[in-house]
Amino acid sequence: MSARAQEARAQGARLYDAVVIGAGLNGLTAAAVLARAGRSVIVLERRPVVGGLAAGEEFHPGYQSVGLLHDTTGLLPEVVERLDLTRHGLRRAERPPSVFAASRADGGLLLHHDPDEAADELNRSCARDIEPYARFRAFVGRIKPIARRLFTDLPPDWLGKGLAALPALLSGGFALRRLGRIDMMELLRLGPMSVADGLDEQFENPLLKSALALPALLGCFAGPFSPGTNAALFRYELLAGGAVAGGGSSIVDALVGAARAAGVEIQTARTVTGMMVGADGVTGVVCDDGEPVHGKFVLSSCDPKITFSLLGAHPVSSVVVQGIRAYRMRGLTAKVNLALSKPLRFRCRPDLEVEFARTGQALPEMERAFDAAKYGRFSDTPVLDVHVPSVANSELAPVGHAVVSILVHGVPYDLAEGWSDARREALGNVVVSTLSSYAVDLDASIVAREVLTPLDIEERYAVTGGHVYHGEHALDQLLVRPARSCARYLTPIDGLYLCGSGSHPGGGITCAPGFIAANTIAKNRRRW
Amino acid sequence: MAKTYDAVIVGGGHNGLVCAAYLAKAGRNVLVLERRHVLGGAAVTEELYPGFKFSVCSYVVSLFRPHIIRELGLAEHGMELIPLECSFLPLPDGDSLCRWADHHETRREIARFSKKDAETYPEFGLAMTKMAYFVKTLIDSPAPDPTSLHPKQLAKLLRLGRRFKNLGPDLMHMHMQLLTMSALDFLDLWFESGVLKAPMSVSGIIGTFLGVRSPGTAYVLLHHYMGEIDGAFRSWGFSKGGTGRISEAIASAARSFGAEIRTETPVDRILVENAGASGVVLPNGDEIRARTVISAVDPHRTFLKMVGQEHLEPVFAAQIKRYKMRGSSAKVNLAVDRLPQFRCRTNGTAHLRGDIAIAPSIDYLERAYDEAKYGDFSSRPYMNVVIPSLVDPSVAPPGKHIVSCFVQYAPYDIKEGAAYWPQRREALGDAVVDTLAEYCPGLKESILFRQVLTPWDLEQEFGLTEGNIFHGELSLEQLLFQRPVAGWARYKTPIRNLWMCASGTHPGGGIMGAPGELAAKTMLESSAI
Repeated sequence: MSARAQEARAQGARLYDAVVIGAGLNGLTAAAVLARAGRSVIVLERRPVVGGLAAGEEFHPGYQSVGLLHDTTGLLPEVVERLDLTRHGLRRAERPPSVFAASRADGGLLLHHDPDEAADELNRSCARDIEPYARFRAFVGRIKPIARRLFTDLPPDWLGKGLAALPALLSGGFALRRLGRIDMMELLRLGPMSVADGLDEQFENPLLKSALALPALLGCFAGPFSPGTNAALFRYELLAGGAVAGGGSSIVDALVGAARAAGVEIQTARTVTGMMVGADGVTGVVCDDGEPVHGKFVLSSCDPKITFSLLGAHPVSSVVVQGIRAYRMRGLTAKVNLALSKPLRFRCRPDLEVEFARTGQALPEMERAFDAAKYGRFSDTPVLDVHVPSVANSELAPVGHAVVSILVHGVPYDLAEGWSDARREALGNVVVSTLSSYAVDLDASIVAREVLTPLDIEERYAVTGGHVYHGEHALDQLLVRPARSCARYLTPIDGLYLCGSGSHPGGGITCAPGFIAANTIAKNRRRW
Repeated sequence: MAKTYDAVIVGGGHNGLVCAAYLAKAGRNVLVLERRHVLGGAAVTEELYPGFKFSVCSYVVSLFRPHIIRELGLAEHGMELIPLECSFLPLPDGDSLCRWADHHETRREIARFSKKDAETYPEFGLAMTKMAYFVKTLIDSPAPDPTSLHPKQLAKLLRLGRRFKNLGPDLMHMHMQLLTMSALDFLDLWFESGVLKAPMSVSGIIGTFLGVRSPGTAYVLLHHYMGEIDGAFRSWGFSKGGTGRISEAIASAARSFGAEIRTETPVDRILVENAGASGVVLPNGDEIRARTVISAVDPHRTFLKMVGQEHLEPVFAAQIKRYKMRGSSAKVNLAVDRLPQFRCRTNGTAHLRGDIAIAPSIDYLERAYDEAKYGDFSSRPYMNVVIPSLVDPSVAPPGKHIVSCFVQYAPYDIKEGAAYWPQRREALGDAVVDTLAEYCPGLKESILFRQVLTPWDLEQEFGLTEGNIFHGELSLEQLLFQRPVAGWARYKTPIRNLWMCASGTHPGGGIMGAPGELAAKTMLESSAI
């Protein structure tokens, strides 16, 4: 029995194998994976509800939101399979959903994922894009099987000492090479480009381009003209699968079910205020109620900056401190939930029942939305990623009513004049007026609205900078995430692991960081 | 019967001349054809106004490979570089920052804005220099091919990997950051003062159509630490007698090895017979036959204009077309009757003997970029100004001076269309002079002559497609084994006997001579000539 185990025993406290900080998707995933591997696990959640950024809540009496993040297409199938989430109620569509690229003029574009289905729609607006779109999908399809490992495996330790990473790098290199010379070169060429350059050379229809570009921008401190955003586009497209019925909150439900079934203890409304660090590393955490929770391991699904702040005065090497300080988490996303007295309809296609829509219309307009953010302002016409969850799930709103979930790109955390109630209202007005310029009769149908500025997001969800992906998806921060000293979940502090979106392979609803982190720990038998 | 040359080189820019010199030195029978009356392409000196010898386009030298100077004996042919002594940043509030060759002096200057930055500055320089040593191995040999399974290529990749590994984890990580981050984000890792970061970040955007916040711009910061003059790392310099003196020296060396060089001889097209190049055709229909044709003009001009799409595989033609060449910079040359008087730092002229940056803040640079993104030139542009006559009095009459302004951003595709540039040219010139006059009152009254070169002019006059000074953007996806296009990044082209030797090939633009040298050596090694 280890010294710490004896100590815990002596104090009469329970010693868990793993203490997980945060019951977001990644925390729950990590907990469930470890518990199924036979470990005793406790999850501590600060908020009264579990689910983190995917937690659905009643934002106005009778109207339920589906969580701050609403795009569930990136959920890792490996997680669903390993944790038997289907048995715990998860239902998922076969294919990624169609997305409506809204236009202020006539038409708009309902972009189907499948190129054959998309052909009809494209034919109406820009027939020349039919073939390039099929080529684009085929290219992504060819890379997908090889790129999968990026989202399921521990990243190679290519910055480490010696040749430890060589086998992984070689096998990755050969896998790439098997794509064929042309695809491989194409991938290397496209990755560093800007999403605008990448899409401009393939497509003509501005609506098609802007609809494809938006998911790449969410989570980046960038506009479509910024190089590197194309890598974020490919990341999104390679992860894209079917949407989960019921959105993020039903993933949360399934994960909680799976975790509990595996014996995970979940405690809400318990804020971790610090970590207990001894001579041989982290031995547990302390909560706001003063109670310690002992564990052989601590897994933090908080963002890296918060995680390291929990160490308090414990000395950490300057390399780590600098690396974490340099990690960029400049939030650029706000959230607006609307409660509507009738369904959302777009003027350019009033008969269409839209579940997912994107605004922006054209790449330069999207770039302009980012311009303002550079100077600490938000644009008058921000770019909106719109989801109407009540279309698929009528229980979210009263009969005939609708709930609209909007992620707003281009709203800086560091607002030059600082955030205030008045600025929040102004932001809400700008978002509503932007959506009104596309939608039918929106103003009159608004029953209530909830506006979360990046600062509100920071406060409510405890994410630094209000960054919904726990750190920007810039090329350098995707390659080494979050910092060199802790790019593979393990931190330099013994017993402390990262398992949140601030780790490889990044943010969004994927459950991948929690999954890989837990697999890595489960394999690391040394300390059990 | 007309003579058949071993090689005819299209374009007498400095790379074409370097290539010619190496081939002639190896005993090949070489002919260089230059369209203009003066040799050097963008590296020329011209007397645009009586008594004033302007380095019309390129105006400073740093990356010129020292071994080329040695191997071709360029010093004996008149090439002489004078190091720049400082980098001066005037500020609108009358303050200024000057970074000197003397490190202690520089630290004292920086400390006025941030003590912490002053401490970090030498550390930063050291790290950058270490990385520059690594990158030097990349620019001094043809680009490695990561897709090739040829043992020689694999060995090369492995060697490169080992060298990379030898940098150690810290520098390896920093190298990755340099490749992918924006200049500003990268500098943010080190420094806090905007007054220091703004002028440092601009070296990342020169010649690109990107802002200092655009990822991928950090890498070019390294170029500032790669310059070598007389083996002294990290220095920039003027060429004595103007930049054209370098081209003249190379041309003179090439001639001494037996190369034939003709000016005012434009090439209309490259003769392609049986999928191979066999010579060039002049506008009057004359043909010049050669066993090898080497293009020292940019890839677009080479393939889309001179070879013609009918001779290209559709895939290759598409690759060339999407090779990005969006020019974004302009040049304004002024002849003035007295030394410009800056409002700040009025004592002495030592601080004016280097380069002068008009880059007062990050937001200033971003606003300049934002205007350009949507098809305007910057109303308040970033400028890199030099007064070469202060250091090299031979280029201007006594007491008078040349003020050379490199200007960004001036996008080739302005919203009215590139052909509209002649109508906007003087407005751009006014914006430049107005901007500079805010720092130098009295400048306007001292101007004797002004030349404004918009990107459109650079295309028309100097044959740079879309006015791109580097023959194609230096973005990550257009470097190394992808320059100009994947699969054809080793000077060879899909047209048999047609080669490339200029800035559109690895390692890219700037007066460095490396593409010309590497092309010549590659051809000689593979017995292609």
